[in-house]
Amino acid sequence: MSNRGQSQYLRIYDNSQTYVRWQAYYINQTITLDSASWSYNPFNADGMMAGSPAGSDVTITVPATTTAISVFKAALNNNRLCEIKMYEFDTRLSQSAPISTQSLIATYVGEVSKISGNFTELSINLSSALSPVGAQVPPRKFTTLLIGAPVRL
Amino acid sequence: MSIQIRDPLALLPYQSGLVTTITEEGAAKGQSPLDSRQKAAVIGEPIPIVFCRRVSSNGGVLVSPAATEGRYENNSTTNVLTTKIHLVLSEGDMDQLPIKDVFQRACRVGTWAQTYDRRAETWDPGNFIVAVATKKFWNCPLYCGTQGTYDNMTTLSFINTHDDESELWDRQVHCFVRNGINVTRILDDTLGPSNNVIDLALYLITQSSRFPSSMVDLTMMEDAALFCNANGLFYNGEFKESTNLEDWLQSISSDFLLRVSDKNGKKGLRPRLQTNANGTIKTTAIEPVFTFTEDHVIIESFEIDYISLENRKAITALVLWRQQPDSDIGIIRSAEIRMTGLADNGPLEQYDLSQFCATEDHAVKVGTYRVASRYYVTHTLRIRVAPSSFNATLIVGDVVRVRLRRETNVGTVSYHNYFYEVERIARAISGVISLDLIHFPVDSQNRSLVGLAVNAAVGNGYTVPTGRTDFTCDIAGRAVDNTPLPDVGETISPINDPPVETDPAELGNEPDDGPTDPVDNPEDPLDEPEPEYPSGPNPGVTGVSDPPVEGETANAVPPCPGGKVCWYRVRKGSVADIEEAATTPNRVTIQCETLGTSGWEAGASLVLTNDDIDHYIIAEATCPDPSSPDGFGEPSLIGITDPAIPDIYSYQYVRWQGILISTSGFPTAKTTDWTSFASPGSVGLYGLWGCVGNVQITSSGGLTTIPTLGPAPWRASVSTTGLITNSTGSYGLGGLNTSSTGVSPCQGTSSSTQVALTWGGTVEGQTISISGLWQFSNNQSTVLAEWGGFT
Repeated sequence: MSNRGQSQYLRIYDNSQTYVRWQAYYINQTITLDSASWSYNPFNADGMMAGSPAGSDVTITVPATTTAISVFKAALNNNRLCEIKMYEFDTRLSQSAPISTQSLIATYVGEVSKISGNFTELSINLSSALSPVGAQVPPRKFTTLLIGAPVRL
Repeated sequence: MSIQIRDPLALLPYQSGLVTTITEEGAAKGQSPLDSRQKAAVIGEPIPIVFCRRVSSNGGVLVSPAATEGRYENNSTTNVLTTKIHLVLSEGDMDQLPIKDVFQRACRVGTWAQTYDRRAETWDPGNFIVAVATKKFWNCPLYCGTQGTYDNMTTLSFINTHDDESELWDRQVHCFVRNGINVTRILDDTLGPSNNVIDLALYLITQSSRFPSSMVDLTMMEDAALFCNANGLFYNGEFKESTNLEDWLQSISSDFLLRVSDKNGKKGLRPRLQTNANGTIKTTAIEPVFTFTEDHVIIESFEIDYISLENRKAITALVLWRQQPDSDIGIIRSAEIRMTGLADNGPLEQYDLSQFCATEDHAVKVGTYRVASRYYVTHTLRIRVAPSSFNATLIVGDVVRVRLRRETNVGTVSYHNYFYEVERIARAISGVISLDLIHFPVDSQNRSLVGLAVNAAVGNGYTVPTGRTDFTCDIAGRAVDNTPLPDVGETISPINDPPVETDPAELGNEPDDGPTDPVDNPEDPLDEPEPEYPSGPNPGVTGVSDPPVEGETANAVPPCPGGKVCWYRVRKGSVADIEEAATTPNRVTIQCETLGTSGWEAGASLVLTNDDIDHYIIAEATCPDPSSPDGFGEPSLIGITDPAIPDIYSYQYVRWQGILISTSGFPTAKTTDWTSFASPGSVGLYGLWGCVGNVQITSSGGLTTIPTLGPAPWRASVSTTGLITNSTGSYGLGGLNTSSTGVSPCQGTSSSTQVALTWGGTVEGQTISISGLWQFSNNQSTVLAEWGGFT
């Protein structure tokens, strides 16, 4: 019999502050982890992958609540980062709060790169905004401001 | 439901960079034309990045910068031409070049200046050529350029003179750059030139602003930088061809034995080979971090894909690199690498590293990795495993072992038993872990075969002479002159072509703000649910009193021309209230009338008869609907009245008929005598009256319920219920009141003209009732109408 439990935590932040801390395991509870409060908001982050670049996106599914729409739209508009953490723990020890011996088994950090869905459910893609198309490096180009109208040889 | 689709396993060797597809082979890209016309910068071209660091007499790159401005003038007597050219060497800042490292063609000539973030020198561009008699006219450029800001660029000014009739005035300028732009080196955290490709990658990632620096795995990058340093894999080149950053990372990583990876969502580069802590290639036994057996692998999740023949066939790798002599042009070299005894006569597969690779060992190691991987790495594997003790520790790049028992022959057991490198880890909330693995070939001592081959691969060390013998075109002493170029320049005020900006603060609208106006859509005349009354709201049933009286004429108007009005009656008492009466199917049709398309506004009429007494009267309308079988659509309610009452003024006599239920519980029927009445409103029954003897009191002391005290006009039914049990007291209910006689209920029921009950004491919950109706007649024998009266 397995007593393995897995819980997921979601944080949206940028360089200056954290905007949202959600957890999806302890229903209707606000729990404390790493000296911070994590409120209950149901979400599901599947396909957390590490390795070569193909398929490195993570998709989060959330109910399309007003709060969720607001949070993720703001993240998309302002290039905020979204961090997903997945912990493993022994379910026999506690079902009401995180236990100190739980193990971090996966982490994913990405930008909110895409939001889609329907009126009741949202799918949020996390990835880097590194577009696979378009010439991007060297990043700077000769412009009129930089070099004027260049000599014609 | 979400469906997760994984890439086919067959793509893994390509995605991981284990297999590369060479689609084009040609001349070495690192070759630079020496004696060509000076090239000019063009608006829109990428600003080149010179990235190199000469260490231990190795490295550096020869750059041919583009001109942005020119000034041409000649001596009006001798016709000697003076050319002044302004050039952009690189993006970013770099150390001053020594004067021995700047050339026109292959010659160290001219006067130079170098500066950063501004225009070099102070001369103004222009063509000032004058014709000189008997001399050849200098055909110099007429469009000599205008000045720019040269923000964050290293710029050069080159001034030279050319004798009359010289044909070398427009030759290309070259610079041998030993130390390229200054960046913060990841390994020593120092600002300076670098030849580590990881520093270049970080610089490009930062400068391109494509994703935040916090999404770069600096630990992974530092390990990769250490690997490059330890194994002599250096970048010495000019980066000037525009490309996609991700494509560049994929491409360049292969040429430095690295691979693009993703750890916890953060991007980075990591070595393709197992390494020691100091970055050197690990050539000792590999200890797998975990062994997956039948206990872990989920049934039927085992998926294997052998690398195809075209990617396994032995080749000779032809790696192009650049021998970079000190202060001279680079010489393109080639290194041929093959497995012993294989592909001696080809096929050749070319890898062009000449744009940045300036060491033979680098080229040889890359070539060896290619041929050794083709030879040793045979397959990829995908398995799904249940979580176990490895769950919190297994990471990409770890070496694991897969050992699965195979029983396909009687009495014989074999094993699928290999080492693998973890290439991808995918975790699901269900706990199942999907692993993409690449075969990790080892020898009998568990040492990496590819690692051993690459580590042992070194170049021949042969140096090709440049073949140059004539140095007379140099200004004397220049070849050994280490004097830095003077830092002379001028800052140009920004020209009148700034970026065009739109300020969202001035527009005052956040991206997601929506309109604040209420919804105000135009009405669609074709999509109205029901026709509206042309003259206003539904008037309901009109023309009758409230309640309606027998003999009155009710009127109802449909909402449409050509409509139909139907009248119905519902008996009072068969429904709870008027709302239920309006919807009950238990109704009786009185009559229906179809109206014409003209004059329909007058509506349909109904004369109430004594059959309608004690009935709700309902009027419904239906409008024409050609699509329905009967030609009419769904009915809609026009109106409903309260139950109709008789026209009591049209009758002379009235009597009460009904049932009396006293304390015995048995009903007693009674019909009173006919009574003539002059004042109809005075007929009715009393409520409950307490009696002491025949004295009436109006309160029962809370012993029983009390109906409204009468006489209530035209009340035909009345009742009371005991609230508690009390054996004493005397009570009376009823008593018929007419205009001429009014009798207290205390007088009992003995009279044929009275309706009343008396009893003694109360019993909790016991109901005493008198229920009946009024009958009307004009001759005291024929009942013309019956009415339940008011309640």
